[in-house]
Amino acid sequence: MARYGMLINTKKCIGCYACRTACQRQNGLDPTDSFIRFEEREVGEYPSVSVEHVPLQCMHCEDAPCASVCPTGAAHIGPDGIVEVDQGRCIGCLYCMAACPYQVRNRNEKTGAVDKCRFCNVSNYTSGTEMCSCVTACPTGARIFGDLDDPDCELVKEIAATHAAPIAGDLTKSKVYYVR
Amino acid sequence: MEYTPIWSGIIACYLFLGGLGGGAFATSAFLAWRHPEAVTMRKLGHWIAPIVVIVGLVLLMFDAKAGLHNPLRFALLLTNFGSVMTWGVVILAAFVIVALAALVLDLTKRRVPMALEIVGAVLGICVAIYTGCLLGVCKTFPLWNNALLPILFLVSAVSTGMAAVLLAGVFKCPEEFNRVGVLKKFHFCFPCIEMLLVAALLFITATNSTAGLASVQALVCGRYAVVFWVLFVAVGLVIPTALETKMLFFSPKEFEESRKAHMISAGSDIGVLVGGFVLRLLVLLAALPVTMTVAWTL
Repeated sequence: MARYGMLINTKKCIGCYACRTACQRQNGLDPTDSFIRFEEREVGEYPSVSVEHVPLQCMHCEDAPCASVCPTGAAHIGPDGIVEVDQGRCIGCLYCMAACPYQVRNRNEKTGAVDKCRFCNVSNYTSGTEMCSCVTACPTGARIFGDLDDPDCELVKEIAATHAAPIAGDLTKSKVYYVR
Repeated sequence: MEYTPIWSGIIACYLFLGGLGGGAFATSAFLAWRHPEAVTMRKLGHWIAPIVVIVGLVLLMFDAKAGLHNPLRFALLLTNFGSVMTWGVVILAAFVIVALAALVLDLTKRRVPMALEIVGAVLGICVAIYTGCLLGVCKTFPLWNNALLPILFLVSAVSTGMAAVLLAGVFKCPEEFNRVGVLKKFHFCFPCIEMLLVAALLFITATNSTAGLASVQALVCGRYAVVFWVLFVAVGLVIPTALETKMLFFSPKEFEESRKAHMISAGSDIGVLVGGFVLRLLVLLAALPVTMTVAWTL
């Protein structure tokens, strides 16, 4: 069993939203729906000021609040630790959206069901299938996908080298790591 | 970043009606024990309880759009017993069954056993606490994620349940209304306790996180300040308390039983009901999620 995770290097992120657009295309989303949201803020003090772009998406938490509150079992932790939403089970109560501290879940206005990042990079990672994912779309290489349990993979080496950490500490045992 | 609440009016109605129904049944049980002669009023409680809870549940189903389009999915609600909502479904189902059983017994002119009254009252209290726990377990919102909220919702639920029964009683059976003194005194206490709980909730939430502070600011001096102070604090708590203080402790008995006094009581009960709904609505609308990198605003 793999334990898939991601690294997002916000120091490389230029805020172009290519990842979001690629994700919308990949997952057939409407322009108003997205699985990646951005937080942007000024850091530093004049004259040493910059804008930090932080792309947020499903953190595929090991301690996933969405899965623990979902009354129908639609939100659940699937194989390889990927947090999934079974669209055929979701009643659209939005409890998971309230429980997610990262606020990265999206309600599909047409179906009323909730959806979010599916870690579609897995197919790319395991079978080499070329796809338009957030990782390949990023022009600055800010994103790395991989297996957190594989010490030889680029993701693990980069997390160790950059001292990357989840965005909110150990809040939910997130598997998306950030360099900030 | 501007935050759009996930739940608003419909869910506020559901939380309000759930608590009101539970409180109304508990009120009936209290009447059966303490004022057994107030038969009509007790029956009014048995009418109100299942009706408002069922209305609330129907509203909930309309809000859950994906379930509304595929009603069979509602059967899946019993699959994750780690979810507070699943427990809520069980408690609400049990409560509605007991409340309807009591209503059927009333309608067929049979006596409602005290055991059924007690079971219904306990389930009603569970429904009220559940509405608070439903929000309370969400770590996302400091305004919800604390142990005071379920207690506040419980107190408000019993208060609104009593107000609904008293309001119906004052029009349907004013004679009985005059004789339920103990119930009225309890009804008087609840808004007082509620004020303390709200103050405690706001003080603690304001100091536990930036999102908590922003939520409290939205209520007391921000976007929802007018609604908070006028409809919740004044109409829902202070005015009913003031009116009831006058009626219960500073009025001669003849005035207390006059039609004018009845209308004042009715006004105070309507105030409590308005306050109960506004409390749920404000708790839903003013809650801001914890900050990741940039604080949310309303």
